[in-house]
Amino acid sequence: MLLSVRVGMLRGAVHKLRTRLLSTKGGVTDGLADAETIFALSSGHGRCGVAVVRVSGPASAAALRGMAGITRGLPPPRTALLHSIRDPQSKEVLDRGLVLWFPGSVPGMRPAEAGEFTRRAFQAGKLGLTEVEGLGDLIHAETEAQRRQALRQMSGELGRLYQDWSHRLKRCLAHVEAFIDFSEDELIEDGVLNQVDRSVCDLQAEIKRHLMDERRGERLRSGVQVVIAGATNAGKSSLLNTLCQRPAAIVSPIAGTTRDVVETALDIGGFPVLLSDTAGVRDSTDLVEREGVRRARERMQQADLTLVVVDCAQLPCDAQRAADFLQEHLRSVLATEEQPDTVFSADKCLLVLNKTDLLPEDGRLTLERELRRVPGLPPICLVSCHTSEGLQGFLTELHGRVKTLCGNPLTGDPTLTQARHRAHLQQCTAALAQYHRYRDGDLALAAEGLRLALTSLGRITGRVGAEEILDIIFKDFCIGK
Amino acid sequence: MLTKRLHRLQGFLLLVSRRASNVAKQQYDVIVVGGGHAGTEAAAAAARVGAETLLVTQKIHTIGALSCNPSLGGVGKGQLVKELDALDGLCGRAGDWAGIHFSILNRRKGPAVWGPRAQLDRQRYREFIQSELLGTHRLTVLEGSVEELLVTEPNPEKPGCHRVTGIRLAGGSRSISASSVVLTTGTFLSGSLFVGQTTSPGGRIGDAPSSAGLSHTLREALGLRTGRLRTGTPPRIVKDSVDFSQAELHPPDERPSPFSFLNTHTRCKPEEQLPCHLTLTTPGVERVVRESLHLNCHIQQDTKGPRYCPSIESRVLRFPGRKHQVWLEPEGVTSDLLYPQGLSMTMPPDAQLRLIREIPALHRAEIHTPGYGVQYDFVCPTQLDPSLQVKNTQGLFLAGQINGTTGYEEAAAQGLWAGVSAARSALAMPPVTLSRTESYIGVLIDDLISRGVTEPYRMFTSRAEFRTALRPDNADLRLTLKGFEELGCVSSQRYYETVRVRDSLRDALEALQSIVLSAANWRKKMPDILMSENKFTSLSGQDVLQYNTVSFEMLASAFPDTLSPYMEFSQRLKIEAVYRPHCDLQRKEIERIQKEENMALPQDIDYFSLPVSLSQEVREILDRVRPSTLGAATRLQGITPAAIVHLLNYVRHTGQKETRTHSKYDKNREELHTENASLVKL
Repeated sequence: MLLSVRVGMLRGAVHKLRTRLLSTKGGVTDGLADAETIFALSSGHGRCGVAVVRVSGPASAAALRGMAGITRGLPPPRTALLHSIRDPQSKEVLDRGLVLWFPGSVPGMRPAEAGEFTRRAFQAGKLGLTEVEGLGDLIHAETEAQRRQALRQMSGELGRLYQDWSHRLKRCLAHVEAFIDFSEDELIEDGVLNQVDRSVCDLQAEIKRHLMDERRGERLRSGVQVVIAGATNAGKSSLLNTLCQRPAAIVSPIAGTTRDVVETALDIGGFPVLLSDTAGVRDSTDLVEREGVRRARERMQQADLTLVVVDCAQLPCDAQRAADFLQEHLRSVLATEEQPDTVFSADKCLLVLNKTDLLPEDGRLTLERELRRVPGLPPICLVSCHTSEGLQGFLTELHGRVKTLCGNPLTGDPTLTQARHRAHLQQCTAALAQYHRYRDGDLALAAEGLRLALTSLGRITGRVGAEEILDIIFKDFCIGK
Repeated sequence: MLTKRLHRLQGFLLLVSRRASNVAKQQYDVIVVGGGHAGTEAAAAAARVGAETLLVTQKIHTIGALSCNPSLGGVGKGQLVKELDALDGLCGRAGDWAGIHFSILNRRKGPAVWGPRAQLDRQRYREFIQSELLGTHRLTVLEGSVEELLVTEPNPEKPGCHRVTGIRLAGGSRSISASSVVLTTGTFLSGSLFVGQTTSPGGRIGDAPSSAGLSHTLREALGLRTGRLRTGTPPRIVKDSVDFSQAELHPPDERPSPFSFLNTHTRCKPEEQLPCHLTLTTPGVERVVRESLHLNCHIQQDTKGPRYCPSIESRVLRFPGRKHQVWLEPEGVTSDLLYPQGLSMTMPPDAQLRLIREIPALHRAEIHTPGYGVQYDFVCPTQLDPSLQVKNTQGLFLAGQINGTTGYEEAAAQGLWAGVSAARSALAMPPVTLSRTESYIGVLIDDLISRGVTEPYRMFTSRAEFRTALRPDNADLRLTLKGFEELGCVSSQRYYETVRVRDSLRDALEALQSIVLSAANWRKKMPDILMSENKFTSLSGQDVLQYNTVSFEMLASAFPDTLSPYMEFSQRLKIEAVYRPHCDLQRKEIERIQKEENMALPQDIDYFSLPVSLSQEVREILDRVRPSTLGAATRLQGITPAAIVHLLNYVRHTGQKETRTHSKYDKNREELHTENASLVKL
């Protein structure tokens, strides 16, 4: 960047600063769009005590001098200095903060568009496309695990994976092209195509596996969707409040207190979780409550994990009957109108038996032991939101599940982090299927499939030109006509 | 059409002399220098557009000569021939006249990449081209050598910009003026011939070297950047000395397919066609190459040669220990020579003889003319605009090998386009464009002017990103209508024939669409098509025609009332049905490219002082290449996406000015129309 001013200051001053920076525009040459100086709050819009404002462009020096009250020259580059930050016109002190700048080479000011700093770096060839997206995520990283994945993508691991696919696909296309453009009078044999068939199958399998990561990378970016569901008055809202350690939802002994979805963001062991409390599932004549139940069911369908909360005082005493009760209960809570007989998936839900404080100590232990033996039930946690009993065990279980859902960002394949990547990769596999469809009938259309696949990958890694394909052809084959 | 041609040919020698001596005029609209594939197409196209045209060539006798291989077309090249024909060019019809062995390459690989190709009779090809040129209205042919290209001094308002005014002929101080000059000097620009250790100036054996004056004007007066390339040709072999029993026989297609959309058959009858033979090199060939390397000047120099048309020397050196193919091709019906495709070489003649005798079928072969190499200058084509006009010299057009290409078809394609552009410029007609989204000719021109060349440029189907739309079968629909309505280089006879074809195809596709049956009924009506039992939807005739197992003939016999009127187009309809869904998918991408191509980058931009954030490297590339549109800039190597965003921004900012100029131009055109209208009234 040409020049950055990083100002540490209290948030309240940022708005004022924004106004000041805007007002400096008139004083400097109003050049072409590309010579414009841009500024933005770089430290995000979440809760933060410290703000970083970044300025880039030809008028940065003037802004620095005007606002840091420097009359001659500029402070040494790349050195942080404590300065009063002033309104350049009125000289009123806005805040005190650290100021530093990085030298650039080139000669208006306007607020930066979203991502404009990164785009400038990308355009200057300093970052690859996947790296830019990694940087975007880093800026938005709210949790440690997200930060690690963002860093990993920044270092280009995901980029390298896509590059590798792109490279192999390029070779496949080059070999098919060689077969089309040269085989009749050259020594390119049909064997070349068999090799391409195998490579295309391998690629398809790899991309499909990558796509089947169960949206782990995306979850890590946008948070795991966890929904609390169950019958009315089971203690769902209490569970939410206990988890987020604040009264986010209203709790009362009246059944049907929660009528809409209450959402809150949590950090569970470094993983982002979006927790939703929903209306208790029951047949109701109240229109508002019925809408609440509909929304609850909708939420459960989109959820990565559903916590089915059951009031354990409602359970039959006999363990086998309790198990049957729970099976039936899960079915009624998780059922949808379209699929009334839905089979719940054990790894998509967690049974939370609440209000254990209402059970005698030995009864609780027996129940827990007996229920765990019953096959076909999801994992069970016994908790009391009232006394916090069993909460630690529940949190450990929840953390484990969230971690599995997100995948460990530092092992295995770099996971998909962008819905955009997913869409292009899906197009890519569809195009590879076109190759197989036309392989024997029309090689031009088969090659078109490979070309489309490469274009889809190119939307992630950058485009591939015809000349590159020809270069591979001439490297791999003795073309001599 | 073909029989009429015979009568014209009989009198052609007479015509030659009369035309040649009859040059009294001092001024032409267009002068074309050079009578090769580029020059002949350029001269004929300029005359068709309506320009008084003069073709100057060293020897009228060698007009239309095939200097290297006796063949036309092939994969990629065949597409160019079809497009040239669609624009009323000469070479497709000449190929149908002179062809003695027709085949469609890639027959099993899909109609988009079929490669129509023919072995030619050299004599017949020359005859056809000469008779065609001499029968072209507004075209004069003059035998002579051009001593100098006449250009104005640079315009003081536009430094470095010249205007061409004409040419001066050698052997006298006679000058002929013209508004446009098309240079198609092939390998003659500072050309040198190489055999063994012997070097002599020239561009082709048996022809005088071209004057140094021309090279001088281009380099010194106009300051054009040039590069050097090399190529070669194989020795010609005496047919009787070849042992064909040791070679593999390759017969032609049983039914020759003509190149031209106007021809239903070729001059050569199917049974009169001649075969080709295939043979392979042996380790002995490699040995001779290595032994004679120290005597081989051409191969030792590092001038860029083509990777795809290499000499036998570079083939065995780059891929040692292999057998390389050698095709033995007939040179003509009455010729007693053979052309050994793949044996281009530049070693001393005695080593050439030793080499060919290492090949089993050639073990006692005799050489008629030894092979030789040519090194020549080319003008870096990034200095040309999309009409193939030199950017800094108004009215000067370049086409063919002078632009760094190789191959007859590539030369002819540029020739036709330069001829059309030169004529339109001379006659003050509005400029026209040919996009890479609509033709291989467009791909060729765009690649040359926006990317330049580092080795002789040859067409491949893989260069065309919209290959499935740019097929040999539909070149007429893509180009003939435009050629008549916009370019002015197509005769009305061809135009009305294409209109008929277009309308019939449209009606036939509608007829196919109108036949809609349930899957069950299709299975009942046409059991042969093997439609899956799991299919329940209803399908149109067009859907069913996409099946591998279905031909238009089958549908026509099932629905004779609706479809039999279109039997003449059965193959085209089948191709259209299969490809249409794919082409529809590509339309969006084509539109994006066309949009970018419509964003012109002014030619007088000073990229070094442009107040846009561009790296020095990018500025240098842009300054060197001067892409004419944003689309062309995106295809440059070394141009970052950032640079494109900034250029786009720049174009948008300056766009308003552009629009203003356009409206002024439109006004001029309106006035012209009113004038024409009043003329009609008078």
